[in-house]
Amino acid sequence: MIEQLLDDVRRSGKAAAADCLGRQAERTSVTFESGRLKAAGVGQEAGVNLRVLAGGRVGVAGTTGAGADGLVARALAAAELGEPLELAFPSKVPLPNVPTFFDKTANASLDALIAIGKELVDRLARDGCQVNVSVEREVGDNRIANTAGADAAYRYSGVSVGAEVWRIAGNDVLAVSDSFDGADLPDAKQLHALTDSITSRLEAALTIVEPPDGSLPVVFTPAGLSAILLPITQALSGKAVVQGISPLAGKIGTEVFGRTFSIVDDPLRAGRSGSRPVDDEGVPSQRTPLVEGGVVRGFIYDLETAARAKTRSTGHGVRGIFSKPGVAYTNLVIGEEGKGKGEGALGGGLLSGINDGLLVDELIGVGQGNVIGGAFSHPVALAYRVVSGEVTGRVKDAAVAGNSYELLKRIGGFGSDRRWYGGRSTPSLLLEGVSVARR
Amino acid sequence: MKDRLADALRASRADYTEIRLERSWTTTVTYRGRRLETAVASEDQGGCVRALYKGYGWGVAAFTSLDQLPAMVARAGELSRAVSLDRPIRLAPVAPHQVEASLDLDGDVRGVPLSEKKRLIEAYNGAMLAVDGRVVDTVASYHDDVTEYWFVNSEGTSLYELRPEVTLSGTAIARRDGVIEKGLESIGLRRGWKSVQNAADGFRTAAERAAALLDAPGVAGGTYPVILDPEMAGVFIHEAFGHLSEADFVYENAQAREMMTLGRRFGKPALNVGDNGAAAGLRGTLPFDDEGTPTQDTPLIREGILVGRLHSRETAAAMGERPTGNARAISFRHPPIVRMTNTYIGNGRGTFEDLIKDVKLGVYACSAFGGQTVLENFSFTAAYGHMIRDGKVAELVKDVVIAGNLFQTLDRIDHIAGDFRWNEMGGGCGKGGQFPLPVTEGAPHVRIEQALVGGDVPASS
Repeated sequence: MIEQLLDDVRRSGKAAAADCLGRQAERTSVTFESGRLKAAGVGQEAGVNLRVLAGGRVGVAGTTGAGADGLVARALAAAELGEPLELAFPSKVPLPNVPTFFDKTANASLDALIAIGKELVDRLARDGCQVNVSVEREVGDNRIANTAGADAAYRYSGVSVGAEVWRIAGNDVLAVSDSFDGADLPDAKQLHALTDSITSRLEAALTIVEPPDGSLPVVFTPAGLSAILLPITQALSGKAVVQGISPLAGKIGTEVFGRTFSIVDDPLRAGRSGSRPVDDEGVPSQRTPLVEGGVVRGFIYDLETAARAKTRSTGHGVRGIFSKPGVAYTNLVIGEEGKGKGEGALGGGLLSGINDGLLVDELIGVGQGNVIGGAFSHPVALAYRVVSGEVTGRVKDAAVAGNSYELLKRIGGFGSDRRWYGGRSTPSLLLEGVSVARR
Repeated sequence: MKDRLADALRASRADYTEIRLERSWTTTVTYRGRRLETAVASEDQGGCVRALYKGYGWGVAAFTSLDQLPAMVARAGELSRAVSLDRPIRLAPVAPHQVEASLDLDGDVRGVPLSEKKRLIEAYNGAMLAVDGRVVDTVASYHDDVTEYWFVNSEGTSLYELRPEVTLSGTAIARRDGVIEKGLESIGLRRGWKSVQNAADGFRTAAERAAALLDAPGVAGGTYPVILDPEMAGVFIHEAFGHLSEADFVYENAQAREMMTLGRRFGKPALNVGDNGAAAGLRGTLPFDDEGTPTQDTPLIREGILVGRLHSRETAAAMGERPTGNARAISFRHPPIVRMTNTYIGNGRGTFEDLIKDVKLGVYACSAFGGQTVLENFSFTAAYGHMIRDGKVAELVKDVVIAGNLFQTLDRIDHIAGDFRWNEMGGGCGKGGQFPLPVTEGAPHVRIEQALVGGDVPASS
């Protein structure tokens, strides 16, 4: 269908260039509610997204319909309204080799997925708690082609396993969750890591203690780091640069963060769900250093933001069936690379030097308000008090505040507990002088 | 289409089978600053089959290729048989309905050229940019959707609906030196083209507010009497209480059931809360939910006492209660789960002035930027606020964040005015990977005796 669409665009004589994404995917999921397998499902999806460049303007249209009747006409109609944009589609180039498809995952039976869920349910079961688990496997084909000659196709597989434990005692509601995401099925060690992570955080949370107060050392777990990292990842996107709102724009080569801090986006990691040989605009994947040793090294771009910023796409174009492409990260690796591997207890070994402080695992309201400036202020959802190097219990009525740019200038240390959390790999991080307030 | 559906249904051997098909036409036009960012028209179609064998779990099959319908019915049946259950799933009875309903299209958006839609949102975007030189950036977006909807089940229900929706949103960003402020406008209706023709004032007001906030001081953090405007009160009741009243949170969890026991006091006698999927013309409104249950006005809190909750057929049967028409899916890609529709705090008495007249020092929190509840704790960010001094609305303040504990805060609502309104906004609700579901909230002005207002960042010592 993709050749046909590109041919139709050429024959129409109305467009100078076009590109097209075709996607076909099948998802299989099993859901356990309150420890019981309740549902099994499949989802099949097929669609195409077409972009045309006509009269120096861009138009996009998408459909999941069986035929693509009218798609070219709709894209051309959209281009008539579009803004002028000097977009150049990439030509055919060799792609890097990155495994995205795993037979074991693609061939896993429904019973095998159920068995994974059952194992987690059994291991997490405890009196007075409710355990919910979901296991989902996706197998799909992506194909991206354009009138400049690029034509890339790859198969992919993906697995996501989520588990949560709820404990309600009177008016105290506690929920502890974790997930595994990857291109391949989790092995026994990875499943154990998932349940151990939930169990250790749950047990440490059973005791409720008074929160501390003041300017304190705070350890953010890989999950708890979201609030700290969000302003930085927003600012490192070419979209923010083009909009003129990135505080990091124009800072390439400048030391902005502490010298131990680095961020790289790496779509070539084997086994990660964000990995792929080519982006959704036909640009080959590449490792993109963003911050190295505290110094800003680059930004991520798709074709449009690159054209507007007069630079090259870094291969970070992502598109759905119905929308025009946008900029997105693949796999973010944070902290000193190669360091901090291995296992770690809660806090990744960073707690030992803390006299009085907090360990933060989840905050409320991350992403609300004016994120990109770096200032944040959030109540805690799941956090623990640390006294004399030990977790003493969960704190409930506390809020943490600070500025990401300031805090990342004085990093107290990286934990030994590096792990993937969604699309990012990071250890725990000790930050000094975070404001902690009681409510 | 009806014959195809009936044939497919007949072929199913499951004890219960339902098929939902949707075909939708959507348009999105977005401006950023003076630049058109997106103008996309899309068509989407697909279906979802759910099957249930007695003694087994749900089998669900979702698909975009309608040719696959018979195969997907068979697949859903197989999946159900793969899930054996010790305690069977039961469905509370719902009388079969055969209804063809077309909601008021109010100017069918499918007949309006893309260029007209572009012109409309360009004008509203222009209204924001024209307000003040300090308004340095804007985002203005137009979105419409018409969905043709079929639902049939093996109990004889057969529905056909035509569902319109139109949403507009605007963000104005004002900047002076290093200070950046925003103002938001949002409109969402289950209507059509005609209903959004005179909306420039709201966009202009959003831009004026962004500019005015540049000069406003941040609110001093502390505990105050807080008055929520209808928008903040609506978001509060949806986020902080509404989700707890969804029966799938409680029906299999003994502790949650205890926490949400009907008859428990949640607030003072002035507090009434409900969810009304049958209210006219709102985004959460539909004649039937996605299990074919008629929607209704469901009281949740009456005079401070918990009296009801929101159900699917499955949760209602499990708890021995009646289905309320709250099983909803964002699209054919998902099975229905228990969701809110149009959630409200019922009207009280008196005026806004009555609420503030004996407040010496308080905060008036207006227009929600966003909110999140995690367990029993919530945090809501108001778009702006005013101090209340000696019973009068005083200066504009910014960075108004209300945080607290749900149970304490509901109990501290001590005065509810008689100026109820629905907040006809865009956006949507997210749950279980399904976002955004069109919902609406409504409330009058509401006073909380004492609430924590976090404004400026807590001082670092």
